[in-house]
Amino acid sequence: MPYNVGLIETLSMLMIITSVAAVESHNLKRAAAAYALQALLICGLILAFAAGNPALYVWALTAFVTKAILTPWFILRYIAKTGEQEVPAIIGFGPSVAIASVILIAFYKLTHTYVHVLAPTPEAAAGVFRTNLAVALTVFVLGLYAILSRRDAIKTVIGLCLLENAVHLSLVSLAPHMRETALIGIATEVVVTVYLLLYVIAGIREKIGTTDTYELAELHW
Amino acid sequence: MEESASVLTQWVFLAPAVAGLLAWLSGRARRELAETFALLGAAAAFLISAVVASRVLGGAVLIGWGRELRVDALSALLVLLISGVSLPATLFAIRYMRHRRLLDSQGNDVTEARLPGFYGMYLLFLATMLWGCVTNNVIMLYVAIEATTIFSGLLVAFYWDRRALEAGYKYLMLLTVGITFALFASVLLYASATPYLEGENAMLISELQGVAALIPRSVAVFVVALFVVGFGTKAGIAPFHPWLPDAHAEAPSPVSALLSGVMIKMAAYALARTVTIFFPAYAALTVFVVVLGAFTMLLGGIMALVQDDLKRLLAYSSVSQMGYVIMGLGFGTYLGVYGGLFHLLHHAVAKALLFLCIGAVIYAASARSMSQLGGLGKRMPVTAVCFFIGAFSISGLPPFSGFMSKLTIFLAGAQAGMWSAVGIGIFTSLLTLIVVMRAGQAVFWGSPKASGISVEAVKEAPASLYVAMATLAAVTILLGVYPQLAYPLLNKATLSIASVLGH
Repeated sequence: MPYNVGLIETLSMLMIITSVAAVESHNLKRAAAAYALQALLICGLILAFAAGNPALYVWALTAFVTKAILTPWFILRYIAKTGEQEVPAIIGFGPSVAIASVILIAFYKLTHTYVHVLAPTPEAAAGVFRTNLAVALTVFVLGLYAILSRRDAIKTVIGLCLLENAVHLSLVSLAPHMRETALIGIATEVVVTVYLLLYVIAGIREKIGTTDTYELAELHW
Repeated sequence: MEESASVLTQWVFLAPAVAGLLAWLSGRARRELAETFALLGAAAAFLISAVVASRVLGGAVLIGWGRELRVDALSALLVLLISGVSLPATLFAIRYMRHRRLLDSQGNDVTEARLPGFYGMYLLFLATMLWGCVTNNVIMLYVAIEATTIFSGLLVAFYWDRRALEAGYKYLMLLTVGITFALFASVLLYASATPYLEGENAMLISELQGVAALIPRSVAVFVVALFVVGFGTKAGIAPFHPWLPDAHAEAPSPVSALLSGVMIKMAAYALARTVTIFFPAYAALTVFVVVLGAFTMLLGGIMALVQDDLKRLLAYSSVSQMGYVIMGLGFGTYLGVYGGLFHLLHHAVAKALLFLCIGAVIYAASARSMSQLGGLGKRMPVTAVCFFIGAFSISGLPPFSGFMSKLTIFLAGAQAGMWSAVGIGIFTSLLTLIVVMRAGQAVFWGSPKASGISVEAVKEAPASLYVAMATLAAVTILLGVYPQLAYPLLNKATLSIASVLGH
């Protein structure tokens, strides 16, 4: 196998740690930094997989531009205007870290053990691809947890970014031979969506003076 | 069926896209230029769609960009529907969008400056919807649907007030999260097809149909579930619908007509394209889809009943009507799919009509709550007549299109022996009738309930508005009286799904 298994496993575990950091950090700047670090890890992971499949180099470059540069830049530019402190989440820091840990351990165990249920091909269920799929699904669930449990609008955007990272990471195992146009299309759209969301959130802040999504209660029923 | 290469498959969405860019760029000089490009773009899309549809009716399947784009009868139906509803909606938009003055934070009038951007996004929104219906690539289907969210996101938040911003945030966030599930499903589907199909072919929907039965059972279950969540969110299927009433109500009325009229139909099309390929191998799926449809129609109907805001009422009614479409598709039989597609066609026309009528009411009276309005019937007879045509039609009364489409779905349900589904369908029809009659009575009879509105000051909407409404009203009557007009295209479209079902 041409893959550096040790490197891939290390990067994968760091992926999960940065996800938890991005979700749990109450300082938005630090959360954005954790996200940017995760984006770099994804690029590293894709490069590690590219040893066995050169088509992935383009994917790594696309991920670098959209995830490691543009997305954190948009988020930081926004935070510079609004302040770094997150609107407190519905769950306190301690319990939330506990929940996130349970989610990640249980989910990682579950997906790693039962990967054949989801893996569409025997190759995707073996070796490094198995780790990759399990990590992708774990990050996906952590992203969902962030979107559902956080009140701060920026934090939900970071959660959305984690969700997208997870699916894009799974492409390495599931769709390694996809054409560049599709990959670039997928990655670009996420950046544009994040930009638009931040633009709308800036508007909300201007009109109601907060980014607390619980204040968005004008439209009910 | 004969596949023939045609450049029309790309121009059907490139034409409005180019017009959109031109409207955006040139409109900075003159707003009228942007409006002209908007009308030209919508008209071009409609003309090309009509040509495409007539060629497909002649027995051809059009392909383009290799086999990346593929227009069979189902695609042709959707393309014709989307561009056909967009044309009157665009005509409506011209006068309507000039009417409400937009102010920036300093209180300056910025209407002129913002309209070119509006038409640019509006046409790109239209173009991406059309693209989604002609692409044959399951990954690009995701890309196109997410692109419709991107281009319509700022249209939803266009008025930039508290309610519009809130709706815009929910719209962008929920739809993007939802559609990510569909991306995962698309990728899984592609990956699981790679052992059976050469390279790029594993992404082509037309090829995937043939291998769906070979995909491992557990993976197939995941794929279907993820597609239902992903495209179902976009289609407004309960319980993934909460974004819909907010977005459809807060967007400018011509945009609401597109969102409720055609955008959710395009998502239903995506469901029909992807989920139904698993029907032959997994018969239990059909029951699941029917239950989902019944739940959606009932919930939407009940929620519509408690609304005061007319646009929210119509939006919930859209949720409810999507339930019928999903139920029809769920029956999986020829008659069921035919009914589902007929209902999709009917609802696109009727709901766009109703949103335009409420738009005309907002134009004339600057209010949209039942508790404020009243007595407008005498002053706005054309709008009132159009509203009641649309209202009767979505309630399923003869001789309007909704009667025919619902009847087909009920017959299909009876044929499949699913009487409880038929019962829920009929009950929801009655609910819908109550909802829209109450709304019509509150707006057009009696006298205004809010002090700020005087009937004497209200004038009928200008000609371009009621021409748009009357056109759609005429179509819904036509389809009700001569349902066989739609038969050739609907029949072929149904067969393009039913052939998958093994009938």
